[in-house]
Amino acid sequence: MTFSLWRGLAVGASLFALSAGASAADDAAGDLPLSLRLSPGQYKQIIADVFGPTISIQGRFEPEIRTDGLLAIGARSVSISDTGIERYDDMARGVAAQVIDARHRDTFVHCKPQAANAADDACAKQFISLIGRLLYRRSLNENELGTQVRVAAESAAKLHDFYAGLSTSLAEMLISPDFLFRYKRTETDASGQRRLDGYSKASVLSFFLWNSVPDDALLKAAENGSIHTQEGLQRQVDRMISSSRMEGGLRAFFSDMLGFSEFEVLAKDPTFFPRYTITVKEDSQEQTLKTIVDHVMVRRGDYRDLFTTPHTYLTRSLAALYNVPLPEKTDNGQPMHWQPYTYKEGDPRAGLLAQASFVALYSPAGRSSPTARGKALRENILCQKVPPPPGNVDFKFVQDTSNPQYKTTRDRLTAHRSEAMCAGCHKITDPIGLALENFDSAGGFRTKENGVVIDTTGELSGVKFEGPIGLAKVLHDDPAVVSCVAKRAFGFAAGRLPASQDADWPKIEAAFKDSKYNVLELMRRIALSDVVYTVPARQVAAAQK
Amino acid sequence: MALKSQRLRHLVCVLAGVGAGLSASPSHAETRGYIVSWFATATNVVDFKANCPLDKNGGQVNLNVRQLMGIGYTKEEALQIVQDSGAQLTPEFTKRINVNAKLNDRPVPIFNYPEATEDPQIEMVTGKFAYGFDLSSKTAQKFEDPDTHQMIDNQLWRAVGCLDSFRAVPPGKPYPEELSWNLMIDSAPGWSLRLVGDDLSKDGKVTVILDRLTQHLQRDATGNVLSNATYIMESSKRSHNEFQAEIKNGMLTITPKDLYLEAEHPFYFDIALKNAHMRMQVTPEKIVGYWGGYLKWQDFAYMYTSRPANGADSIGMYHALKKMADADPDPKTGQNRLISGTYRMEAIPAFLADDSGKIVAVPGGGEESTVAANTGIKVAN
Repeated sequence: MTFSLWRGLAVGASLFALSAGASAADDAAGDLPLSLRLSPGQYKQIIADVFGPTISIQGRFEPEIRTDGLLAIGARSVSISDTGIERYDDMARGVAAQVIDARHRDTFVHCKPQAANAADDACAKQFISLIGRLLYRRSLNENELGTQVRVAAESAAKLHDFYAGLSTSLAEMLISPDFLFRYKRTETDASGQRRLDGYSKASVLSFFLWNSVPDDALLKAAENGSIHTQEGLQRQVDRMISSSRMEGGLRAFFSDMLGFSEFEVLAKDPTFFPRYTITVKEDSQEQTLKTIVDHVMVRRGDYRDLFTTPHTYLTRSLAALYNVPLPEKTDNGQPMHWQPYTYKEGDPRAGLLAQASFVALYSPAGRSSPTARGKALRENILCQKVPPPPGNVDFKFVQDTSNPQYKTTRDRLTAHRSEAMCAGCHKITDPIGLALENFDSAGGFRTKENGVVIDTTGELSGVKFEGPIGLAKVLHDDPAVVSCVAKRAFGFAAGRLPASQDADWPKIEAAFKDSKYNVLELMRRIALSDVVYTVPARQVAAAQK
Repeated sequence: MALKSQRLRHLVCVLAGVGAGLSASPSHAETRGYIVSWFATATNVVDFKANCPLDKNGGQVNLNVRQLMGIGYTKEEALQIVQDSGAQLTPEFTKRINVNAKLNDRPVPIFNYPEATEDPQIEMVTGKFAYGFDLSSKTAQKFEDPDTHQMIDNQLWRAVGCLDSFRAVPPGKPYPEELSWNLMIDSAPGWSLRLVGDDLSKDGKVTVILDRLTQHLQRDATGNVLSNATYIMESSKRSHNEFQAEIKNGMLTITPKDLYLEAEHPFYFDIALKNAHMRMQVTPEKIVGYWGGYLKWQDFAYMYTSRPANGADSIGMYHALKKMADADPDPKTGQNRLISGTYRMEAIPAFLADDSGKIVAVPGGGEESTVAANTGIKVAN
């Protein structure tokens, strides 16, 4: 094991344990989290934001846990395993080596060492304090700074290389719990009340809106205290929402809400769905995120219209999957480009639910599944819970797609529901999912299955409809749809769902409605609300003792 | 559904009408788009023993023995060398083999100067069957086509059909062509095929239009060619071909005419057929068929002599092709410059656009609503 990893393990083990213990205690008390582990997306975004997009990250991240529909909430319940520490250490050393290499060092190291083959504490301190402030989302204290400078000096002396010393120190910071976990620290305000300190507040804000670390301006607002004033907070929130980094936050939120982490284990049988290539799998996620960003940030559209919008973006591979023409006049051999695409009125492939990121993501490898699609729609879009199937369920009817007696999925599910133990849950999921049967397991459009015209009639909350267009219209008018996205946005910001004692919550919902369900306005209201910066009661109690 | 089919026909009528480059297209016609997704020399190896009763050519080992004998070793010595060195001869021998040609009494590379090598007299096809078309009145050399049972000309197959590399059954291609197809498919522009007719679901007169694309083919998740993707066709007329044709019982045949499609070496320089014939089984989902005619035997031979490490006996093939060439004699030497030959091909549906990006052909057999909803062209009443 390397010098760096030993130090990482020695320093990290106790803090990781502390972190995990704190989370467990929070859960047991039904309280707010003290810490949240960085998600893979946040880790990557931070590295890109701090060091630029040319720094590559090699390695696998620890698995995430979805709680109350969001990984962002599950982040409070996860720690880092022993092997996870080793993987983070490998990633950290890989990133550090690139940042300090000859190509990049001048961008980040703004001083020249007295000798390149020896330690230089002054220059090292300058680099560590600058980068450390961004990575830890706060200024390093003297003790931390001194430790890191010593690490750089010892390593430089052993390796006879000042920059190798800096690389070791940077890797140390990247494996530190102060980087890998988002801690909420508190302080006492002028009136004697506990509140999140400025850095913690800035961190909550930046991870919510940008899915990344605060920038210098936000850290300065934390340092000069202006973040604690309504005017100062509003100035920062408005600045952040108008920033290009806002797209990162919007993408992260919807990726989480729509369950895109499931793409990691998604596969299709190429024999039946040859157009579902690896490229299509990746592009389908991007299609949905581009559609959302365009609708929310560019068009400033109503959230509900995402389910009916004819506007989207396609690549040639995706267009082939959807069977639509997409001429691209780029030179042969050039990468495919994204192109805006608008479906004609009445096209059943309009709207988010018709995209492969939904209909393919929630289908098994070889057949469509109205049940899985209905369940995902209930849970992800309507914030409703669907019970898991019983352990002894018999899938013989639904899995046999070649049974001549049951030619369509509807036929097979009808037979399956004849078993009483199955009927209860399927009546919650299937009437919605069957409306999407025009889409096969990979997201390709079809009107027949095994030669039989597909019946796409469905029902939701007592309203009957036909096909994907009918479903999208019913969803558009269902109040649970807007309520759900608001709750999930709150959960993405706060790491918990809104509770009845959150006085601001009804105001946030009302403001969302008044804005004609503008998601940016929803996020702005949440970011300005006190409830996402509430100090955990456990910490208040601890401070009072 | 009948109504939908009618709507689709109306739609593609309009599509065809607005498509650029369709000057020869009949008005109010349906235009289906395809891309050529499989192409190779047509093989027929159902009964190899009947084709090549001597089984003389063998594989790489036999080739090595022949080449060693060509530089002076006895058969026993050659066999021993091959046994010692395995299938791949050591450079000590290959260097000598590779310059075993003489030009003006000087040794020259055999693959650069195949005409200066000795003919190794490879075995050629003496069987009865081969795919192709009746191109000439030379009845003595004709094969019988296994499908049509017509007597046909295919001297290319006679020359190469006993080589191991050509013992391929579709979807397998002759080994060197399989290699080069897979090498080039991801970079070389493909070919498009359009069918234009009043109603392609019925028998009748149609027009077949071939063009080169500006883009290479895309692959699907199985590694084959992706269907229903969109491609732009070259604006250049160099590879633009139009054939009058007729469909009977789903089988399309053309009125013979010369054909030219630019390609990229090593997967053919081009497909240049004199007196080109075609017959293709047409469905909305796929076209499978044969293209035949006279091609330049030296171009075909060069595909192999220019990259000899492909398992084929390039020099033996060169001499066989030269001997079997059956058309276009050189006025000075009398040596025929063309050889009758046949390719097998497949095509799958695609959207095709002209160089302005306008869609001029759509996949057949697709969902009617798909086409109607996305082409932006109103369905005619």
